[in-house]
Amino acid sequence: MLPGRVGIDLVPFARVSRLLTPEAEPVLPRMLSEEELGLCVTESGPDIPGIAGRLAAKEAVFKLFHAAGQPMPWLGIEILKENGGRPVVRLSGRAARLARDARVGHIEVSIAHDDPFAVAVAFCDTATEREAQQQLESA
Amino acid sequence: MASAGIEEIRSWILSRHPERDDVAPDENLIESRLVDSLSFVELVYAIEGASGVEIDFDNIDIRDFQTLSSIEKAFFAAV
Repeated sequence: MLPGRVGIDLVPFARVSRLLTPEAEPVLPRMLSEEELGLCVTESGPDIPGIAGRLAAKEAVFKLFHAAGQPMPWLGIEILKENGGRPVVRLSGRAARLARDARVGHIEVSIAHDDPFAVAVAFCDTATEREAQQQLESA
Repeated sequence: MASAGIEEIRSWILSRHPERDDVAPDENLIESRLVDSLSFVELVYAIEGASGVEIDFDNIDIRDFQTLSSIEKAFFAAV
């Protein structure tokens, strides 16, 4: 059995819409980095499915850390775009430390959105798996 | 007697849960799903607004946010 891990999360578009109302607290800059915010706008305004998908992906990645009881390091888990639009994960600060402590290796994420939800799945290998693979390759 | 600040936080939580008419001081807000990871950020912002305390998101002790009592003790005790 491969000792990988998966995380999954779902964010309703309505939750994002509520965060964008004028009376809501301006919390998005505490959840999305400047670079991510730049990826979440369209010509007609905020990209609600894009924001929901990105938030879901961050939570899915956080679940890989097995750090229940700790606050989400929202800004330390960035969901960016590779050429071609594929989502890629960049970790920094406390998120990177949590990942290291949990022996999280390479992370892949996949995001889907269809009104009224966005869903994201994250997968990682772990150090133990990589070590086992290296041992197999060197045998 | 509860401080005005914590009453503001209680009202903030109840405004997001119309099915509820009260939140007990020692009810765990996270386990009871009154606050989830998305609304946690909003809660932090609401506490900052009500207390005037700036909260460093990267150095949060989650235990300070688990109940209204713990929030009051951590952020409104001296008010």
